[in-house]
Amino acid sequence: MSQMSYFKKKGDPYIFAAGMGLIISLGMVAWILIVILAKGLGFFWPRDLVEVTLDDGKKYLGEMWEKRDDYDRHETQLKNGNRDLYGIDFVWMDDANIVSSEYPEGAFTFERMEYGNFYGYIVAVNVENQAVTAVDGDIVSKAYDAFELAHQTHDEVVETQQEITDLTEPLTRLQREISLLEIDRADRTEEGRALLERYRKEANEMEQAIAEEYLALNSELEKLVIKDRSIFLSVRTTDGRNKDLQLSHVVRFFAPNQMGIFEKSWHYMGKLWEFVADDPREANTEGGVFPAIFGTVMMVILMSIAVVPFGVMAAIYLNEYAKQGVVTRFIRLSVNNLAGVPSIVFGVFGLGFFIYFVGGSIDQLLFSDKLPEPTLGTGGILWASLTLALLTLPVVVVATEEGLLAVPRANKEGALALGATRWQMIRKVVLPNAMPGILTGLILAISRGAGEVAPLMITGVVKLAPTLALDATFPFLHLDRKFMHLGFHIYDVGFQSPNVEAAKPMVYSTALLLILIVILLNIVAIYVRNNLRKRYKSSTF
Amino acid sequence: MFSIINKRILAVLVAVMFLVQTGVSQVEVDSRIPKYEKTSGISGNANSIGSDTMNNLMTLWLEGFRKYYPLVNIQIEGKGSSTAPPALIEGTAQFGPMSREMKSKEIDAFEKKYGFKPTAIRTSLDALAIFAHKDNPLNCLTMEQADAIFSKTRKRGYEKDIVTWGDAGLDGEWANQPIRTFGRNSASGTYGFFKGKVLKKGDYKNEVKEQPGSASVVQGITEDKFAIGYSGIGYITSGVKVLELAAKAGADCYGGSYENVVSKKYPLARYLNLNIVNSPTKPLDPLVKEFLKYVLSYEGQEIVAKDGYLPLPYDVVMEELEKLN
Repeated sequence: MSQMSYFKKKGDPYIFAAGMGLIISLGMVAWILIVILAKGLGFFWPRDLVEVTLDDGKKYLGEMWEKRDDYDRHETQLKNGNRDLYGIDFVWMDDANIVSSEYPEGAFTFERMEYGNFYGYIVAVNVENQAVTAVDGDIVSKAYDAFELAHQTHDEVVETQQEITDLTEPLTRLQREISLLEIDRADRTEEGRALLERYRKEANEMEQAIAEEYLALNSELEKLVIKDRSIFLSVRTTDGRNKDLQLSHVVRFFAPNQMGIFEKSWHYMGKLWEFVADDPREANTEGGVFPAIFGTVMMVILMSIAVVPFGVMAAIYLNEYAKQGVVTRFIRLSVNNLAGVPSIVFGVFGLGFFIYFVGGSIDQLLFSDKLPEPTLGTGGILWASLTLALLTLPVVVVATEEGLLAVPRANKEGALALGATRWQMIRKVVLPNAMPGILTGLILAISRGAGEVAPLMITGVVKLAPTLALDATFPFLHLDRKFMHLGFHIYDVGFQSPNVEAAKPMVYSTALLLILIVILLNIVAIYVRNNLRKRYKSSTF
Repeated sequence: MFSIINKRILAVLVAVMFLVQTGVSQVEVDSRIPKYEKTSGISGNANSIGSDTMNNLMTLWLEGFRKYYPLVNIQIEGKGSSTAPPALIEGTAQFGPMSREMKSKEIDAFEKKYGFKPTAIRTSLDALAIFAHKDNPLNCLTMEQADAIFSKTRKRGYEKDIVTWGDAGLDGEWANQPIRTFGRNSASGTYGFFKGKVLKKGDYKNEVKEQPGSASVVQGITEDKFAIGYSGIGYITSGVKVLELAAKAGADCYGGSYENVVSKKYPLARYLNLNIVNSPTKPLDPLVKEFLKYVLSYEGQEIVAKDGYLPLPYDVVMEELEKLN
């Protein structure tokens, strides 16, 4: 009994409880990370193709995906792809019905631009009306040659199309102007009629001027397209159905059962790169997430640009200029409470204030010719960033104040005693010393802001933004554009995509990427902070 | 007058170019539906705000449309069908995709603003499916039973509340298992359509788990052997099965195949609409018009089939094209 109370006095049970608490929370974080890492990174690994024969004679070829045990039943899920033929990408089978499973050497995985993966065997390679079948020797290397040729041809097609687009762009834009005038019934006024007449004449002249070049390009394009379509593989599925795969629509193809570990690793790196650097395909369920990465990072940067000056100014005034009393205490309390407001409330505020009020007013003042089509009066990356800046403002204010308080009083008074004005003292003594605190605030703001999705959903995030907010057309930075975001991408792909089974691994990969980006942004900020710390440590006294 | 160019070559060529390779996909698009023909002078920006069911469709259509007109930018937001009418009224969107008909209240508000009614273009067919876990031995439900499973008001008049799988006619290990129900959140058109069509505007049970997306309904059922739920038939996966439906007790059961939907034997079919502002006194914006023409073309309808929805029959396409002129 007395021993027990001694333990209690010493605090051992509490230390034990605290330790357990730490272990549990660390364990949960580690568990989440491991799940995301395993599922997110495993997705890109080329899996072997298994050919399963069931006792009713049905044959399936595909990737082993998942196993499930339900009492005495064991089931296997196979991804057998070929969505255009079978309708669904996956099939469940009872292990008891499986007669044999083999790993055929000649089975190929074809990653396609449309309809997901195709699994099957190559029967013949067709290049411009010449077919090569397996009888004629090494069909696989022929297939790879044809693949190269197809993609070369396809690139030329895209190039020619681009040339045509560039050639016709001024004309297209002018014709757009004309049709907009027609919609507005501009011909009802004398002025409008004259303008229309002039535009039409201009358009006619433009058309005459480019006609020759246009026709030449077009006939070139026609040839290329026919060539592109004539390069295809004849393939056969494991249940004996034939299909022609146009090779320019195949992203890559490979025989995983023949690949060694190095080949697979190489392939893996390629897939990883595609994921990070490419545009999404098939309504975001395949391909890469580059626009979403770009949108996330850009939004965080814009947010930081907005939040840091305001937060720092507010903190400096509160700490250095304002008379400490009930009012400042009340303001501090409010700021702290602001940090606890649910993010969706900020979203609604952003929608009402920034988009409808500020954006709507700007539209009426500056872009009234485009109304009712809004320019800034609709969600966009600027408004989303500002909303998030509001959301993270308390974090920055609090952290900056901590930093300001940490500046030794002696330094400040020393500066004042030497005749510096208050502002000089703040600029030369306080701010440099408080810099690490300010950057800590920024780091916290970035962590919070990058992971926030709810307020973005009503202030400018979209499923697919056709253009980035930063590009080569004037004025380069398009703050009014809507954007894609990794967090929203996760929500959208996970909850909204048809064929959710095939899209699920994308969710894990995207989540992993989001975490990595937040970590990366933080590391950069921490690195900068540490450098600053070192600099000011040596320079003070 | 936009002329030499498109008339001579473009039309033919482009039709050849983007013909999707026709495989033996699930549902064949009627080959009589006209192919899309490119015109010139289409560029500009537009917004689409509305149904989340049609989000993927809109995205895929846009991907296809931009192959013809790279200078077109359309931004797509899909937060639910109810967000479409306000966006059209405010003028923030030119396209209002909706997975249900507009309610009379919404039409009134529209008319008050513009002085004419909104134009709804039918773009595709969607069958709503009642999904069960793939191991569920049940094959067919009557509409009365479905009502009794999902609704607490039972407006279709089934004699008793269906709470367990035994109530729905299963025996063995299933008999005593409670039915766990999944559905959509109330902003979605799917929610409203199911409520109107199956529940006869009755109320859902409180136990129905409302999901933020159609895919998560299917996911929920995949993970829970004793679950049932409704969502678009295009969201089917290997983990669930579509229950056949009978219009009333004793009637034949029909699955959600294309023939059954078109012949209206399957009771839960609906049109997916694109609503636009089409003033009787002004010509329609060519950008909007061409996009709709693309949607109603053979190519556009193939995209519908690819995304798991059902393409329109030939005569409906012709009717809708008529509306655009």
